[in-house]
Amino acid sequence: MLPTIIVDDEKCEDPLSCRRCLIICPTHVLGLGTDVGAQKFRETDTSHFIVRPVRFDKCSGCMDCVDGCPQSAIQVSFGGGDAR
Amino acid sequence: MCDWCEKYGDGYERWYFNPANYARRLYKIRKEEAVASGAEANPQAAGGMAFVGRDFIEARDRGDIAEVERIKQQTEGAMWLTHFGQVLTLEEAHKITDIMYPISLISCACRRSMEGLPDEENFTCMGMGPGMYKWERWPDTYRGGVHFLTPDEAKEVLSKLNKRGLVHSIYTFGTPYLGGLCNCDYPDCAAIRTVVDLEIKILWKGHYVAKIDPELCNGCASCIHRCQFRALSFNPSRNKAYIDQFQCFGCGLCATECDQEAITMVERASLPALANVW
Ligand code: SF4
Ligand code: SF4
Ligand code: SF4
Ligand code: SF4
Ligand code: SF4
Repeated sequence: MLPTIIVDDEKCEDPLSCRRCLIICPTHVLGLGTDVGAQKFRETDTSHFIVRPVRFDKCSGCMDCVDGCPQSAIQVSFGGGDAR
Repeated sequence: MCDWCEKYGDGYERWYFNPANYARRLYKIRKEEAVASGAEANPQAAGGMAFVGRDFIEARDRGDIAEVERIKQQTEGAMWLTHFGQVLTLEEAHKITDIMYPISLISCACRRSMEGLPDEENFTCMGMGPGMYKWERWPDTYRGGVHFLTPDEAKEVLSKLNKRGLVHSIYTFGTPYLGGLCNCDYPDCAAIRTVVDLEIKILWKGHYVAKIDPELCNGCASCIHRCQFRALSFNPSRNKAYIDQFQCFGCGLCATECDQEAITMVERASLPALANVW
């Protein structure tokens, strides 16, 4: 069964320096993207980095990311059930 | 024969030994790439480098084989024109450093995405060819800057990364223009995980296949952890390593680790059943 994984970008302010969820997910589900895409002639400011469930098909639902996020920014739910 | 050697080899033993493929008209693919492959409009927002979107994963999940096939073919068709890779052995990677210039060590976008690695710990990717001279246009792609290397330095870096257990592969940027010499592992490399998990051929198998000599293998198991492609396992009944040659991508990482020389890299073309397994 596929999960719905939602990350609150407002709460997750600086994922590049936190990256806790990336490291603790046992199946490397979560990854970083940016909310602006590639920009010519300038480096993307770290405030534009966001966490997304890149490999959500490998999520077991263990909730380690949900419990481990210091900002409580991650919600994981299955089959339309209640998000935790 | 490998499709790419046939199309772009021009008499050279491999298409990636043909110097012309490092010096072609520079590519113009950035925009089209994401749209054509059916990934989210902004592939970076989808998490670094997602080659397919949620629609593919959902189709797989509900067992819709026709839809899976459709998206797979559409994605492969688009990527083979723009950006795909093929696995190399260390020897082949070394040889490439002598036929093209310049070559540079850059930070790895896949591991930045999946590990959030700081740039200074993340110099595992190589950019090459004249395209590198315009790196300053894309400072975000080249976060942390660019180290231009001499051919000898490049060989040394490749050997170190091989020791660490990273798979070498070559990538096109607007096929057949070759611009990336990547050193990768599962599952953080977008190409390896896409081909291994989703069976979408963003990464082609290499020109070699690993073969075990059961007489020489002493069962030490020190090669087992080297395989990033689920081709290598340990067989307790025989007390020997086991290689699924149909799954082997020909990276040679297992062979470089075996001090009994029990693993040899055999030409794919020499094995009738595997000659067309890419
Ligand atoms: S653990 Fe929470 S705050 Fe830290 S990067 Fe992940 S989502 Fe953001
Ligand atoms: S619930 Fe567990 S498996 Fe799923 S993303 Fe979070 S840590 Fe990873
Ligand atoms: S293909 Fe490999 S080296 Fe290149 S960016 Fe991805 S993981 Fe890094
Ligand atoms: S490293 Fe060599 S000897 Fe040891 S298990 Fe692997 S193939 Fe056999
Ligand atoms: S079996 Fe050996 S050569 Fe084949 S993919 Fe695995 S590590 Fe590479």
